[in-house]
Formats: sequence, structure tokens, C-alpha cells
Amino acid sequence: MDFAIDKAMREKLEEVAERGRAEIRPIGLEADRLGRPIPADDPFFQKLVDRGEGRTRWPGPNGRSPSRGLASLRSSVMTLLSAEEFAYWDRGVMVAQPGVGLPEGNVLALGTDEQKRRFLSPFLEPDRPRWACFGMTEPSCGSDAAAIQTTAKKDADGWILNGAKCFIGNASRSDWILVQCTLDPSKGRDAQRAFFVEQGTPGLGGFKIEKKMGLKAYESTSFSLQDCRVPASNLLGGEERYQQRAGFKTAMRTFNAGRPVIAANSVGIGRAALDEALAFAREHDLLSSERVRDRLERAARKLKSARLLCLKAGWLADQQKPNIVEASMSKAIGAQVGMEAAGLGMELLGIVGARGDHLIEKLYRDVKAMDIVEGTGQIQRVIMARHLVQLPR
Amino acid sequence: MFDFEYGEELELIVATARSFATDALLPKLRDHESARGVEDEVARAYQEIGLAGLELPESLGGANLGAVARVLVNEELAAGDAGAAVALDPLGAALYPLLELGGEAALEELVAPLLEQPHARAVLVCECDAAFEIGDRVSGTVPWVPADRVDLVVILRAEGALAVREGIRLQPLPGSGLRAAGAGELRLDAAPILAQWQDAAGAARAWARARLHQASLLLGVMRQAAEFSRRYALERQAFGRPIAHHQGLAFLITDMRAAVDTARLLVHEAAWRVDSRLDCTAEAAVAYAEAIDAASFVGPNGVQILGGHGFMQDYPVEKYMREARALGLALGGFDGAREEAGRAVCEAREFVDLSYVEAS
Repeated sequence: MDFAIDKAMREKLEEVAERGRAEIRPIGLEADRLGRPIPADDPFFQKLVDRGEGRTRWPGPNGRSPSRGLASLRSSVMTLLSAEEFAYWDRGVMVAQPGVGLPEGNVLALGTDEQKRRFLSPFLEPDRPRWACFGMTEPSCGSDAAAIQTTAKKDADGWILNGAKCFIGNASRSDWILVQCTLDPSKGRDAQRAFFVEQGTPGLGGFKIEKKMGLKAYESTSFSLQDCRVPASNLLGGEERYQQRAGFKTAMRTFNAGRPVIAANSVGIGRAALDEALAFAREHDLLSSERVRDRLERAARKLKSARLLCLKAGWLADQQKPNIVEASMSKAIGAQVGMEAAGLGMELLGIVGARGDHLIEKLYRDVKAMDIVEGTGQIQRVIMARHLVQLPR
Repeated sequence: MFDFEYGEELELIVATARSFATDALLPKLRDHESARGVEDEVARAYQEIGLAGLELPESLGGANLGAVARVLVNEELAAGDAGAAVALDPLGAALYPLLELGGEAALEELVAPLLEQPHARAVLVCECDAAFEIGDRVSGTVPWVPADRVDLVVILRAEGALAVREGIRLQPLPGSGLRAAGAGELRLDAAPILAQWQDAAGAARAWARARLHQASLLLGVMRQAAEFSRRYALERQAFGRPIAHHQGLAFLITDMRAAVDTARLLVHEAAWRVDSRLDCTAEAAVAYAEAIDAASFVGPNGVQILGGHGFMQDYPVEKYMREARALGLALGGFDGAREEAGRAVCEAREFVDLSYVEAS
């Protein structure tokens, strides 16, 4: 048994904290104040790219990996600790960063060599910020990913896509969108397929950047597909792989891998609220109050337990052990305790929290999304219940 | 680097404790409770499999293991029967001040004679649970100790500890939980102080280990309550399906499981700190507070899931509810643990540390 954050991890986290203080939090606060995503041409993004960020994990066509740092720092445990630390400074900015983002795991796992070459090569050593994104959620279906309505129809020249997607992070600035579609909405998960849709493809349009309560630094965008035609080679994994009925499992795997990361984000946001609340209480001489100390104690205890749940889920993944229950548990609990910490912070601020210009107030708005994205807390409980009591679908 | 694996030696000890708890404690849970004691045969088996001397030094025939081994074993034993787990261990948490403050000499003088007498019991008490007058002698009343016989009283204080062997009176009580270990009001009447130690650092470690002892017993009780009621909910039908398939109960069951798993991680982390000789007092207080919090949720809901049956003594969940509560009252209980943990949070400078971070 070992619970220590070792020296290599600590140094990595200190790096994130340094950037967090210098640039991540300030630009996140600015986006929040202005009520708009950080523009795609903001020098901040170019600076990240110049520093070598926003690159794909794909080693390239010859399998030669660009410099990627220590192997031990690429564990899920490290990913989770970094995700927590980043979100501590600003979770919105984390999502806004250039890179392949959410679809990368799917493309690496399922994409053909040709697809990796076409869609990931530009991210090997990009000279400008580039984004990609994953389009799953629709106006009428979120957590129930089996119910998507966007259709794909095959004809002699390829595929014709029709439908609408919403709340897709970075969609309008993405080079391509991996769009989850169905061949037949009545056939559920078996009929689902994912397609690469490149920006500028006729029929892809209607981009609308949503106005959000929080996490304003990145764009959450709706768009439509109207007789949008893509070549046959844009079907993720190619035709053959779907003869093995792996369509829906693809999406489920992505959700699974993402859950502890969202939980870690929530812990990070909650920790920021806790530290701010502590500073506020100290400054206003409130620490002699038992009620105040109890609030801080509870927030710290719950955040610590949620961090351990996330790390356990990540550690299981690193050991290639099943982690479905743990991943969902970490997500359900992590989102809850992040919200609670921010809420306790607001209570501690009193009417100062109502002014709308305190960091805790922003964190309170930001953190709510953590109980919604990648499956709500209720959906996580459904998933756990399927395993624990065989809850029927 | 994070590692949640127990390792081979601990895996083996856990498996031994689990099968002993399942075979010897669980089936006799009501017998031990009404007899206010564990059958001799069970006590002998406990000695034979080597669980008795888990944390004792080799000089006393022990295995010299640490807090991690203790919390793992306690969870298993308490999942069988927490009352019996307390009854079987003559020293309980009273061992920790002796280990951390008294050292080898105290163990030789105070512990060795105790181990030779069958049914002998030492108890740990503290000033948050009772008022003592401490001078050359000690007087005071402890409203409840889970014992029908007390041979040694160890009083754990903020900056030290003291031990008393004479002048002890015990008035039997019905006891709310842990009846298999007995229950009594403990009175010290001008009891001569046999030994006392001043050492704030040692006392802090003793506090941590005592709280983890208690927290890990809670883990076993709540795990069993959650698991028993989960299985029941799969069998019991209402409105044409297992009650577990009504979402209101399904979610309750997932949340009970989460409560147990969460508390366990905090207990393990704090125990790992104890064994690694890192700061552990506030962390153990956090773990104890969370275990109490979780057990107060899981215990009553275990009864709730069984409905009317849960309230009856034909099922064990009412016992789990009582014991989940009683175990969390000792050593200053929830409030004492939160106070300790809260003070540590308030001392944090810029950041509240949630993990141990290696220095350069």
C-alpha cells in the first residue's frame, strides 16, 4: 500500500500550479467576466502550441514517438492528479486547450492506420492551435447514448448524415468532429457508427455557441448535419470492424475512461473553493467559530475521500482491472463533493457571495456541470446499480 | 507511487481473518450477544490462527505488524461480529499508549501478565468521554466501556497517558451494542497510578491508532449491513419485482456501497501514514469522522431496506445499526474527531493538503 505523491509527480503538479497561477486562472476569469469563450486566435493558444502542447499521443506513421516525458508520468493516476490540479486553476481553460481532445482515445483504439494518418498527423507537431471534438449529445438525448437520432445512410459514394448535435466542446473551431450516428434509431446501440466530419464539409453548419452559467472559457456548441456527405473512408474503424457489432461499446468505453477525470476536475474545483473559503475566513477572523471550522472540515474530508476514489479508479485502470463501479462511484461522489465544497464556500462568504465578483461564486457556477457531463450523478448510480443489483435496463 | 495492493502477506492475513469471521463469528452472533461473551472454543481458535498478537512485538509472541494489518483484520472480524471482535482482543486500543509511550518496559510489565489470564481485559478511555480527577491517584466515572471485566485501564490524554490496575469498579449495564464484549460503567476510586508517560508525539500516534482501531471496526459493521441488505433487496419482491429494482432503493444501495468504500480509503490512507511514520493524527481523525458519518448512514438504512423484518431480531441488521452507532461514540466520537481534523484544516497556509507529498 502506498499513498504518496512521489517526487516526479510533485514536480509535474508544481508545473501545472505555476502555469495555473500565471496564466490559466487569469484567462479563465477574463473569459468569465466577458461571458465568451477564449477566441481561437487568442495568443494564449499559440503560446501553448509553441511550447509543444496540444499534440497527439499517436506516435506517428513510423511509430516514432516525439519526446513524451517519463513513462510513469503517463499513468491514469498522474492524469487524474493533473486534471485535478488544472481544474483547481480553471476547468474551462482546461477544456479549451488545443489538441485532439475527447475523440483521441477512440481514434487510437479503433481507427484504421489510414485514418490515424489523415486525422492525427496534423496534431503531431502543429504550427498553429488545432482542435478536434467528439459529437455525441443531442438536444433530445444526453446520458442515454443509445437513443441518438442523427442518422447515417449509405449510398454508392459514401455516407449521408442528418441530425443535430448540441453542447459539443470546441466544435466550431475543430478541424474535424467525430460524430456518433445511427443507421437505424429503432435498433439502439448495435446500429451506431462514428464518422469523421471535416470542417467545411457541405451540410455541416448552423454552429451556435451556447451561453452558459459557467465554464465560459471554452465553447459549447450546437450544430446540424443536413445531407452532409462524407466518404466511406470516414467511418471510424472502417466497414469490417462493425460486422463485429462493436459500435456502441466504442462510445461506452469513452464514457468509462472519462468519468474519473471529470470527478478529479470536480475535486480540483472544490479544493479551490476550500482554499479560498479558508483564506476568506482567516481574513475575516472567522476561524474561532466552531460552525465555520466544521464547514471547512467537512469540505476537506469529503474532497480527500473523493480524490482517493478517483485515484483508486485510475489505479485499477492502470492495472488493467475492471473499474466500472469505481469509475461511476468516483464520478457520482466527486461531482457531489465539489458542489458541496463550493456551496459551503458561498455560505461562508455570506452576502459577499451574492455580489457576483468573488472567485468562489464562479467556482460555484462552474462546478455544477461536473454532475452533468459524461453521465449525470443519477446515470452513474444506474450504472452502479446494474452491477450491484442487476438493475434491469 | 500510488499502490492500492495489500501485498501477499497481508492478503493471507485478511483471508485468514475473513474465514474465521465467517465460520466462527457470524453464525454465533446472537449466541455471543446474549451470553455477553465468546465461547471458549472460538477464543481458542482465535489464538491458534495467530490473530491475537497481530501488533505485539515478537518478544511477547506477537507478529509485530502495524496499523494497516490491524485495520484490515478489524474490518474482517467486525464483518463477522464486532462485539466478538472486541471481546476476543484483551488489549484493544489500550495497547497503543503502551506501545507508543511506554515501550518494551511497559509491555513487559503491564501487557504480559494480562495475556496469561484468560478473559482478562484492558480498556482505553479518554477525558473527552469522562471527567477524571488526576493527582497522585485517579478518580472518575466512565459511563460506558464495552467490557464485563476490566483488569487494566489506560487513560489517553492530549500529551501523554497513564495506567491503572487497582481501584477499578465495574457496574454492569445492558449495553446498546457490542454486548458480546460486555458493558459496564467504569469507576475509578482514588486508583493508584501504576505508570504514566508524558510525550505529546507518542500520544498523538496513540490517538491516531486508537481512532483507526475504532474506524476499522465500523468498516466491518457497515460493510456487512450494506451487503446483507443488498442481498435481501434482490430476493424480496414488491410490486412484481425485487425491491432492489425500484430506483429509490437501487440508488440507496449504491450510495451505501459508496459510503463504505469511501470511508475505507480514508482509513487505509491514515493507517499507511501511521506505518510510514508520517503525520497521522489529523488524518486518523478524518478517517474516524468519515467512518462514523458513513456508518450513521449505512446502519439505519440497512434496517430500512428490510422494512419490518429489519426491526426484528431474527435478522442481524438491527444489531448492525446499534453497533454502527455505539462504535462511533467512543474516543470523543464524531465531534471530537471533527474538531481535531478541523483545527488541522484551519492551520493550512495557502493550500489544504489532501495527500502526502514527498519532499525534494
